[in-house]
Amino acid sequence: MGTIIETNNLRAYYITKAYGVERTVKAVDDITLRIQEGEVYGIAGESGCGKSTLLRILLGAYQPPLTVVGGEVIYHLEGETMNAADMTEEQQRDMKWRTISYIPQGSMHVLNPVRRIRDTFHDFISAHRDVTKKESFQLTADYLRDLGLPEKVMASYPHQLSGGMRQRVTIALATILWPKLIFADEPTTALDVVVQRGVIQMLKDVQQKEGSTLVLITHDIGVHANLADRIGILYAGKLVEESDTKTILENPRHPYTRYLIESLPSLDSREERLAIPGRPPALDRPPSGCRFHERCPLAQDVCKTIEPELIEIEPKHFTACHVVEEELNGGHSV
Amino acid sequence: MNLLRTYILPRILQWALVIFVGISATFLIPRLSPINPVDEMIGRMTAFASIDPHAVVSMRESATALFGLEGTLLEQYGRFWARLFTGDLGVSFGNFPRPVSDIIGAGLPWTIGLLSIAILISWISGVFLGALAGYFHDRRWAQILERFVVVVYPIPYLIIAFVLIFVFAWWLKWFPLVGGSRGQPGLTWDYISTLLYFGFLPALSLVIGSTAFRFIMAKSLTTTEIASDYVQYAELAAVPKRKIILFYVARNTMLPQVTDLALSLGALFEGALITEVLFAYPGLGFVLYNAIYNADYNIIMGITLLSIAGIATASLLIDLLYPIFDPRVRLR
Repeated sequence: MGTIIETNNLRAYYITKAYGVERTVKAVDDITLRIQEGEVYGIAGESGCGKSTLLRILLGAYQPPLTVVGGEVIYHLEGETMNAADMTEEQQRDMKWRTISYIPQGSMHVLNPVRRIRDTFHDFISAHRDVTKKESFQLTADYLRDLGLPEKVMASYPHQLSGGMRQRVTIALATILWPKLIFADEPTTALDVVVQRGVIQMLKDVQQKEGSTLVLITHDIGVHANLADRIGILYAGKLVEESDTKTILENPRHPYTRYLIESLPSLDSREERLAIPGRPPALDRPPSGCRFHERCPLAQDVCKTIEPELIEIEPKHFTACHVVEEELNGGHSV
Repeated sequence: MNLLRTYILPRILQWALVIFVGISATFLIPRLSPINPVDEMIGRMTAFASIDPHAVVSMRESATALFGLEGTLLEQYGRFWARLFTGDLGVSFGNFPRPVSDIIGAGLPWTIGLLSIAILISWISGVFLGALAGYFHDRRWAQILERFVVVVYPIPYLIIAFVLIFVFAWWLKWFPLVGGSRGQPGLTWDYISTLLYFGFLPALSLVIGSTAFRFIMAKSLTTTEIASDYVQYAELAAVPKRKIILFYVARNTMLPQVTDLALSLGALFEGALITEVLFAYPGLGFVLYNAIYNADYNIIMGITLLSIAGIATASLLIDLLYPIFDPRVRLR
């Protein structure tokens, strides 16, 4: 299995200029990713760490003030290698839904309130395939049945469905054309846990049926544990750790990842969980050196001035931390 | 059946109640006024000539009967309704003894013709152009159009009308200064063409301002709509633009627009007072203007009754039509 999408030193900033004051928010800063065909890649991190921004760039759905200032996004789709920067608008449009699709954040509101579900499906299908209304209704009915959704949603309006059902319909809408690469942005947020389970199961089904690649973004480590094969931890616009799900959960190395994992509630212990001290940094003036040093209990002088590089500390386990690096190089233990 | 009982019937009752209360208020308000119309009329008649006192007394009696001012307020109220149901709105004081229904009936077709065409043209063009300008807000033509509208919109109606009259009727003499038509009324092209010829300037004066208003409204509704999640998502999925504009944007902005259209059409019976006076157009507004000028209560009341019924009926129609435009209003 090869790489399906990669980014090389990707930098994307929000550049705004109001009343002569220029403000740059470095939402994605120097991120290099390789996402393999057929895997579920989870991106985790707290609010405001650049998760959604990264997704917009990967999806090619961004407009000013968000600007790609450096690096590149490369798709390996249908046997072709394409650099996102070289693609025409026409190619980008053509690629959407047939090969790349998107399950949005807050999909409660992505269905047109005055259109029946089946008509929305027809709009989306007929935009990419030459089908009659009847054919797309048939396609939709078959697909919804496959996914175990009741047939009566076809003729419903969005407001007649429950939140969980709307979310499932949106997932069906996003995947109806069997895209190779699916991006999901917080697909289970704002749903209660019982419904979450159903939605997670459905995502799994959809992904496994065609062996699609799923890039899953959520702050909920529990969802990642359920779905993801590999996890990338994002902090303040930077990738700080990346490995397979088991390693991240059992042997996190970056202090930030450790905090994230340790703050998870557990069934066995009833003690209070530690919160990460401090607040996420503002990305218009990120801290110097390691962006986590202000909140990090292990921070040393070097962390305040020099940015740590992402290094492979064991096979397929990457982390960007001076302390871990030093430890690895046989320095004093922490 | 359920729909009829829980949705349609209450609204029809509400409609009847609004009209009842409105008409009762119309009955009551002039009677609270300190001016007695009978005294006014006698005063006008005896102002320039002395009349036999006996004649004055009998005249007062017959005038009181004619104006429906006999007996207690309650008795008057009962007779008022009885007369209303037979379509009798009383007689005009100013054009004594011409019946009010006759005078209103003469003005009504002019007003309906002028206003309904002006409203429809301005609604369609305003909504259409506003939606396009809102959707393509970053295009050059949309920005030029919007700037033009923003300049035109705040110009007071009087000034627009005067400029049109001055330039096209008085200076260039392309259009007539006064009147509604020329020649023998009938369904002939000759007559209809004069109707269009006389009606063009007044209609244009109305269309300019209300198109600008609806353009601004449609544009701001569209601006909100294109930022909505479902429009953004459809854009992302590369749904064709034509479909997005029609079914995702315009369809969702329709509800307030349809309300606006129906209420404008309902308000039609008030006439366009300023327009009709400025262009000396023989419609309801002109009739109303003269009635106010002559303290002709019955005509003022008659026109008020019509516009109460018009607005109430328009709101009833909106209520009944809403479910067609917005499925969320539909009964589950």
